[in-house]
Amino acid sequence: MLTNRGRRALKGAFFALLLAIPLLAPALPTSEAHAARKGDRAEERVLYTKNSLYQYLVVADDLQKQERYIYNSKRDYMQGGTSLKHPDALLFEYTRLSFIALAFLDRTPKKVLFVGLGAGSMPRWFHRYYPQAKVDVVEIDPEIFKIAKKYFSFREDERMKVHIMDGRRFIKRSREKYDMVFLDAYQTDYIPFHLTTVEFLKEVRRILADDGVVASNIVSERRNKYFYAMIKTYVEVFPHLYIYKALHSENNIFIAPAYGRKKKAEDIRARARQLEGEKSFDFDLPSLNDYYGYYTFFKMPPDTPLLTDDFAPVNLYRYMGVEENKGGRKAR
Amino acid sequence: MIKFVVFVCGALVMSYEILGSRVLAPDFGSSVFVWGSLISVFLGGLSCGYYLGGKVADVRPSTKKLGVIILVPAGMFLAFPLYGTAVADWIFVKDLGIRLSPLLASLILFFPPAVLLGMVSPYTAKLMLCSLHTSGSTVGTLYALSTFGSIVGTLFTSFYLITVAGVTRLIMGQGVVLLAITIPLIFMKLSCPVAEPDSPPPQGERP
Repeated sequence: MLTNRGRRALKGAFFALLLAIPLLAPALPTSEAHAARKGDRAEERVLYTKNSLYQYLVVADDLQKQERYIYNSKRDYMQGGTSLKHPDALLFEYTRLSFIALAFLDRTPKKVLFVGLGAGSMPRWFHRYYPQAKVDVVEIDPEIFKIAKKYFSFREDERMKVHIMDGRRFIKRSREKYDMVFLDAYQTDYIPFHLTTVEFLKEVRRILADDGVVASNIVSERRNKYFYAMIKTYVEVFPHLYIYKALHSENNIFIAPAYGRKKKAEDIRARARQLEGEKSFDFDLPSLNDYYGYYTFFKMPPDTPLLTDDFAPVNLYRYMGVEENKGGRKAR
Repeated sequence: MIKFVVFVCGALVMSYEILGSRVLAPDFGSSVFVWGSLISVFLGGLSCGYYLGGKVADVRPSTKKLGVIILVPAGMFLAFPLYGTAVADWIFVKDLGIRLSPLLASLILFFPPAVLLGMVSPYTAKLMLCSLHTSGSTVGTLYALSTFGSIVGTLFTSFYLITVAGVTRLIMGQGVVLLAITIPLIFMKLSCPVAEPDSPPPQGERP
């Protein structure tokens, strides 16, 4: 009996601790936002707090900046945010950067998938410019979906649907072909291991159109084991990999097209200009191509491991070989 | 030696549970349903194991028999590559829904070894009580060791082992460890005198 109780207590504690692992929650922290938050706590108005199945969620307005965020746990990390004055705009740099993926597709996207909802700004933005496209969003935490609807004016419609499910399960079950897949599923500050492996990326590639593109948000200090392992794993599955590094945060956007021919920076810029002309986006898409970089720029150490379902210690790698920086937590 | 066995079995149960979450994630994700299934199946297995272990221990207990009990999960762990992902994939294809799928997979993959490893605690308690004539403190020590083993198994696996080897190899490694501890058990001649009808051992209480 004692043993039993002991185990149960242990399990309880462990569950709380590792509750972490199971999370597929959207990621979105940036240093900009981090700085903003640190500045004036007094200027903050908390609208909502809730302990969901997967995380502790806080929705709060920064009154000075006129911005609204979803934080989790200790408010180290943001899951999403929006400007109150411009609710349709993409607040975070990395979310804008992700849409460089549009320039890797030589036609109009008809069907796209977002893994990780957050405040829903990316799907919403996309849906606004491409109202004819079908948008699927998969999000593990039902509470995030409620928050996106209530505080971030996210709306489902016939063409935009949210599926409350683990991302891997959704992709593995899907029979669709997507033109673009956006991977942005985070548990606080790391990607759940089963969304990083070769097997997973093969499943993603299976649901990708032949000329489709994956855009993945990888939060990492560069040149650590985690970053290299991610590169190695993407390159194992996709013929080419382009890495766009955000200027103001630790976000890197991995662009991995399913097709074999390599895209030069000029091609991407030209295509981005063309799109800009057609759509007149609310930010300058072509200029984002300044961040263009091909993966071979990074010389991977020879012992870089490939991440597989069998072996993927990503949340431990994440902080390996990175000097602790005292200002603390690098905001995602 | 007996105490060591209890410790190791306690460690391996929890280590297997951690690894189990990694086995399930590719097919079923890591939603609360997966964690809920995993934990309840392990607890269910242990509770059945405690019950059965107590029963079995009342019939001529010996270290040899204990060795045989441990041999079974050792075999299961060593054979894990043959059926582990196969079972998970099979259930994935069947698709019994978001809750039932991980529950069934956990039941098939984790329940049997959890039962057998759960049997170890009451069984060893009985052995030590009747053959060594020690008292309640023995039972207390065994439970403490078992749970302490679980802590060590949990931390060691999740903090360290996962970075050094693949999940399949780690599970097979567990099999090797279990196999190694059965050998001395089988040769160790510790058993209860047949004659005396024993008073019911304290761990006979069931949940």
